[in-house]
Amino acid sequence: MMDKWTIGKIYFGILGVVTLAFGIADLLVTAGGSSFSLGILEIPNDMFRGGWGGLVVLFAGLFYLSGLSGIKNLSEIHQFSKVVMGSILIWVVAGCDIFVMITGSIPGEEAWFNTLEGFFGTYAPPYPPAILLLPFSLAVIYYIKKGRVE
Amino acid sequence: MIELTVDERWDLIDKISKQTVKFKKYKSTLKEVIGELTVKPLTGIPIAIAVLYGFWSVFSSFAGFFTDGFLVKLFDEHWLPWMQGTFPGGLHNWFYNLMVDVGHIQNGALVASDSCFESFGVLTSGLFVPFGVVLPAIFIFYLMMAVLEDVGYLPRLAVLVDTVLHKIGLHGYAIVPTILGFGCNVPAVTATRILETRKQRFLMMTLLGIFIPCGAQLGIMQEVIPEYTGLIILYLLFGYFVTGFILNKILPGRTPEILIDVPPYQRPLTRNVMTKVWMRLSSFLKIAVPFVLLGCLIVGVMYLTGSMDWLANLFGPIFTHWFGVPKETVGPLVAAFMRKDLAVAQLSAIEMTKYQMVTSVVLVSIYFPCLATLAMILKEGGKELLGALAVLVASTFIYGGLIHLIWILLGVA
Repeated sequence: MMDKWTIGKIYFGILGVVTLAFGIADLLVTAGGSSFSLGILEIPNDMFRGGWGGLVVLFAGLFYLSGLSGIKNLSEIHQFSKVVMGSILIWVVAGCDIFVMITGSIPGEEAWFNTLEGFFGTYAPPYPPAILLLPFSLAVIYYIKKGRVE
Repeated sequence: MIELTVDERWDLIDKISKQTVKFKKYKSTLKEVIGELTVKPLTGIPIAIAVLYGFWSVFSSFAGFFTDGFLVKLFDEHWLPWMQGTFPGGLHNWFYNLMVDVGHIQNGALVASDSCFESFGVLTSGLFVPFGVVLPAIFIFYLMMAVLEDVGYLPRLAVLVDTVLHKIGLHGYAIVPTILGFGCNVPAVTATRILETRKQRFLMMTLLGIFIPCGAQLGIMQEVIPEYTGLIILYLLFGYFVTGFILNKILPGRTPEILIDVPPYQRPLTRNVMTKVWMRLSSFLKIAVPFVLLGCLIVGVMYLTGSMDWLANLFGPIFTHWFGVPKETVGPLVAAFMRKDLAVAQLSAIEMTKYQMVTSVVLVSIYFPCLATLAMILKEGGKELLGALAVLVASTFIYGGLIHLIWILLGVA
């Protein structure tokens, strides 16, 4: 039976591939010039969020994958730190995306404050890739705590 | 007393250490390993790119939230109409023009302005720009800067960029005044004290004064020409490195190595962060804001007395032929001497191509340090100010002309 570190290796391997793919998609969509939307996913096409942000997402994917290369399991600290860094990079981009939503949801167009409908509407899908990756990246916290106990 | 030979002393040391010191394999902590990742170029550069992304994203969202969300409404819909209604005089009164609104010509008639970006009065634009646009921008800027310092990231960034900055005669810690300059050049010039030699301080002050746009400019750029801001910053950073490289070759003096004490990553202390933010904000409020108001007044006087038109006619041919920008930009570019931020706002109202707009805003940035920075360079650098000004004039002409040349070669100018 696989131990939790081995499961972690497989989990972050898959997450790394998906993150890398999202990063590449971000850059391609930005280069293409028009935004892309599919279900709850929306890839922005502006140079800042799509270009620069996409580059950071791509780096996050590379961190995940390089953290998993050449090791038997995830508990090796130098490699595990790269996995943690991959998650931190996703938190940076997703945190910025959420902050944009918060700052955009409060002021109104004409009035001082937004309507209740407009306020909640800001948080409705579609979401950029980093926000979709955010819940999956949080799994690293479990492994950080597990590492501390061991 | 027993006399011991050298060997006996070492034996004694061994015995004591065996009884008192425990030896085992050191196990690095996650915090330490992450600290190493942020310093190594292969992993540190992507992390720096991510940190700067977060920095810029929070900066623009926060500044936009306060400025666009609330302060523009406060100043344009309440403060400006109230001042226009209650201040004595009117559009044909010079004192009213200076203090409240210069107005603008519409269908042959002089009409009141409807935004603080256009009014150019000391009590309207003069208050709106520093408090409505710049203050939220530099508050969040200094807050994030202080958090990064306290967390322990800035010393690591200094180590990371040390090699690059040595190419332009500086060292890793020059990143501190450089980043501070993006908030306000006034505390950034003070922060050049971190550099050891006169050559380094002169270099840093010159580069700050010319190539680093302050929070005021960035705030206005984000407000009126957001689509060009990234391109303009790229041009300025390019100029920063090229000019620094040339100055390093020309200037005599030493550029010593540094030994940086890199602290472990730690949780930032609220008290430390707030003290740093207040210290830097108070420097902006005490020194920069009075100069902003004075600058607004002087620009208003120059427009009213016609001296701006005179200067525009005098410098017109140079601007249009050498820099390739329309004749109408001369006024804002001359006014940039007093008020860079409002000059950018003025430029946005002039009809120009994308390339002319980029050139004009780059020129506004490198044209002259704002009055407050000039005063601070004079205080910190003294007689070196003259040297800095000579570099500035040369850089403006060469760099401005070079951008025009690039547009010509690309066939867009």
